[in-house]
Amino acid sequence: MLYFVIGMLLLLGLWDMIARITKNEIPSPLSTWSVFKEVMQNPFQNDPDYKGIGTKLFSSLARVGIGFGLGSLIAIPLGFIMGSSKTIMNIINPIVQILRPVSPLAWFPLGLAIFQDSPKASIFMIFICCLWPTLINTSFGASSIPQDHKNVGKAFGFSIWKYITKIMLPYSLPHIFTGLRLSIGVAWMVIVAGEMLSGGIGLGYFVWEEGFNGGSVAKILVAILIIGAVGLLLDKMFTALQKRFTYAV
Amino acid sequence: MNTATSQIATKNIADSILEPVLAPSTAIDINNVTVSFKTPKGTYTAVKEISLTVQKGEIVSLIGHSGCGKSTLMGTISGMVKPTNGTVTANGKSVSGPGPDRGIVFQNYSLLPWLSVYRNIYEAVDSALKDMSKSEKRELVQRNLKMVHLWDHKDKLPGQLSGGMKQRVAIARAFAINPSILLLDEPFGALDALTKSNMHVELLKLWNLDNREKTIVMVTHDIEEAIFLSDRVVVMNNGPAATIKEIVQVPLERPRNKKDIVHDPVYMSIHDKLLNLLIDKFSIHDIKE
Repeated sequence: MLYFVIGMLLLLGLWDMIARITKNEIPSPLSTWSVFKEVMQNPFQNDPDYKGIGTKLFSSLARVGIGFGLGSLIAIPLGFIMGSSKTIMNIINPIVQILRPVSPLAWFPLGLAIFQDSPKASIFMIFICCLWPTLINTSFGASSIPQDHKNVGKAFGFSIWKYITKIMLPYSLPHIFTGLRLSIGVAWMVIVAGEMLSGGIGLGYFVWEEGFNGGSVAKILVAILIIGAVGLLLDKMFTALQKRFTYAV
Repeated sequence: MNTATSQIATKNIADSILEPVLAPSTAIDINNVTVSFKTPKGTYTAVKEISLTVQKGEIVSLIGHSGCGKSTLMGTISGMVKPTNGTVTANGKSVSGPGPDRGIVFQNYSLLPWLSVYRNIYEAVDSALKDMSKSEKRELVQRNLKMVHLWDHKDKLPGQLSGGMKQRVAIARAFAINPSILLLDEPFGALDALTKSNMHVELLKLWNLDNREKTIVMVTHDIEEAIFLSDRVVVMNNGPAATIKEIVQVPLERPRNKKDIVHDPVYMSIHDKLLNLLIDKFSIHDIKE
């Protein structure tokens, strides 16, 4: 905890220095704090002309949630199949390797063409980018089951169902959570960039509005801090899940 | 003589009278078995044309240097390894895969880390003895855990147990499916010498509790362990294409006592014999420059 505080103090110090150097083009931490308080007023207001920061946050989270959920629903079972069968791995892996390096934002116009709808295209973009880390980590988990565990199944005559539920799944679970954690990290980054393309309500669009339409830099910094904090929380949540299901041998 | 010994003595007399009339007492028959593997560098033969018979209720050790194929040979009995040539028969039936008549204790315990001690044994019993009722299975788990004195630890995870405790769970698991043949692959190799010594006595105790009916085949590196536990010690040649070098009888009376046995001249001569078969460097003088 102490190290965290020291780190934060260093960051604040650096920030303050930059503010001074740029003659408050980049606002100082203190002035940003007052803007932060202002932005946090009525966070959940949801009127046509004014939407609170909380509403914007949840709008982004919802889009991420749906894309992430759909992506995981497909990536996890597919990962199991890929990890368990060398043939299927050899067939699908090249496809994964070709599609994975494509910037998630490039999927947005494709989504727009398919769905003719901006929000749906955003979700599509999140869906695609959430596939790869989960798929790769899950298949790694399923393919790396130690021979010792497999021997237990073989020696005592485990049925296929028992092998899957009592050996394959529990062993792969930490790997799945690692994949999910990486996926949610990418998804959260992508949604912010994606909303700049697609418009809509969320935090990303908020940054775009303030940044490119002559708004306040302080509000951008506030948005950055909120985005960072939420990203950290999501990451910590999945790390905790991953640790919970990792067992010492 | 105490009651247990006299009971066993009576049983042995009865057995020898009835023997010609009873079914054959061969538990394991390894007939001209060769095991080869295909590797990127060509065919690797682990064991070549090995034949061995084990009688019911015998304890036999397989001993030899690392890589001499002892585990592979035992794998053909357990059914985890298929012979390239030759046949293996266990309990009168040809071995085609693992089965509930042969219990296995692995070198690395191989307990599932996410299951409690209780569940590790229960899942094994549940899979191997499919036709039993739930309550019968639960009773089996309880009885075997109590036998290895680990009932109080039944809800612990393997990660919370010491090496000796883990191995006792693995042994309880193998005993729980009530196999007539027990196959132990260097079961005490990872344990410290003191725990190992305790485990030898505990294993023999469990074997006695079953009226010495279980046939045990054990792979080991440890000469003392092999002599203390076995009726016969099978010494293997070095691999590849390993064969049996010699089979040494251990005619020491049971129950054996760890402290007394080392002073027994028969023990000492067997010990010397095995040393000579296995070790070629006894002192620094044996290493030629």
